[in-house]
Amino acid sequence: PRPDVDALPPGTHLLFAQSGRIDHVPLEGYDMKKKDAKAVLHLPEKVIIGVAYDCVDKMVYWTEITSPSISRASIQGGEPTAVIRSDLESPEGIAIDHLGRTMFWTDSLKDRIEVASLDGTQRRVIIDSDLVNPRAIITDPPHGNLYWADWNREAPKIETSYMDGSNRRVLIKDNLGLPNGLTYDSPSSLLCWADAGTHKVECMNPSRGDRSEVMEGIRYPFGVTSYGKNIYYTDWQRDSVVAVDRYSGKESDEMQPQKRTKLYGITTAYSQCPSGQNYCSVN
Amino acid sequence: DPTRGTSDDCQPCPCPTGVTCAVVPKSKEVVCTNCPVGTTGKRCELCDDGYFGDPLGQNGPVRACHICKCSDNIDPNAVGNCNRETGECLKCIYNTAGFFCDRCQEGFYGNALAPNVADKCKACSCSPLGTVGKQSSCSQVTGQCQCLPNVAERNCSACQPGFFNLQSGNGCERCDCNPIGSNN
Repeated sequence: PRPDVDALPPGTHLLFAQSGRIDHVPLEGYDMKKKDAKAVLHLPEKVIIGVAYDCVDKMVYWTEITSPSISRASIQGGEPTAVIRSDLESPEGIAIDHLGRTMFWTDSLKDRIEVASLDGTQRRVIIDSDLVNPRAIITDPPHGNLYWADWNREAPKIETSYMDGSNRRVLIKDNLGLPNGLTYDSPSSLLCWADAGTHKVECMNPSRGDRSEVMEGIRYPFGVTSYGKNIYYTDWQRDSVVAVDRYSGKESDEMQPQKRTKLYGITTAYSQCPSGQNYCSVN
Repeated sequence: DPTRGTSDDCQPCPCPTGVTCAVVPKSKEVVCTNCPVGTTGKRCELCDDGYFGDPLGQNGPVRACHICKCSDNIDPNAVGNCNRETGECLKCIYNTAGFFCDRCQEGFYGNALAPNVADKCKACSCSPLGTVGKQSSCSQVTGQCQCLPNVAERNCSACQPGFFNLQSGNGCERCDCNPIGSNN
């Protein structure tokens, strides 16, 4: 396929960053329609790390580290616009609360987590202590929860807080290596992570605290996202997107883009927003 | 654009040998699609994350893209470890700093290039009572803190023999013991 800049057709897609571009692959059921994979955005001079999707306005958001910034564009073919340009050093993970109309991101040099409205206004630091290498961040909008991972080699951890940074707690600190990717699946209430140190995908119900292994022996995961029965992760050694059936714990598919280079963040672009509301959307 | 039917519709890709290209439909811009390992950009003119150089020599001589050279003092799991053009290291670890992570950070001393992490850069930990201006930095090589008068030790934590009162914060005073009545 020609990697042209193109609008995203209807349906649910995976969006993933490959250095200077954001690609999409349509999902048919849970299968990747690999032949229809294309670039949504070509930004060859950028290094894109995190991607997030706003299902309300159908916009993709991303973090970029060469001239550290956060930008967005309509997936129906809009111009990229920077929404945050100042006071960033190494923005990596990004997550959206589509109900509260806010975005959250981690910065691994400033060692903090910030929030802002989707247009970049009303920016505020919500966590600025006890962070070493924060990367993945994910929201659970209906419950107003935030989850993030810190791959600090001395003491890796996965933490949670409310969306204003209050009620911060460490969820997991044992048997972690390099938890690079996080995803939260609302229907099953499962928080899952992909770990490039333990080479495992694991999940946990954050309120019950029970932890289970989905798959072991994976190579070098970076980003991870979930959709229905599948977990999809990007891999730095395979330069590909790998699909794992979370119930059988087996790899079900792989997609390797034509250009062989590192893949970074990945997210699911739902055709329709999951329903729900939270206190930020009400107040 | 071969659909127009003129002789110069198809032109060679403006890319390094063997690299394919495509036309972006909206902007009609030509983009190289599979640049060699370590390179990226519309014309393969940039280095990928984790590499540095100037592969087409846009700002001087041609420098192929090389993996970041940061004295083994970066973490391979990090992103943006060096500036993609100059190679300046941006994410030094083990308390190192400098263009190549080749020296110790302010407030640390030792050999940033030592093979063992434990031998790399240690905190100066200068004693505030014995150090000039309560400085926290020390000689990057020896670790010697800048001591007040008559104060000894690498970290300025003790008086020289024959001196006392480190607590004063102004250096140590001579004991002035009478040599006849003292045993040292």
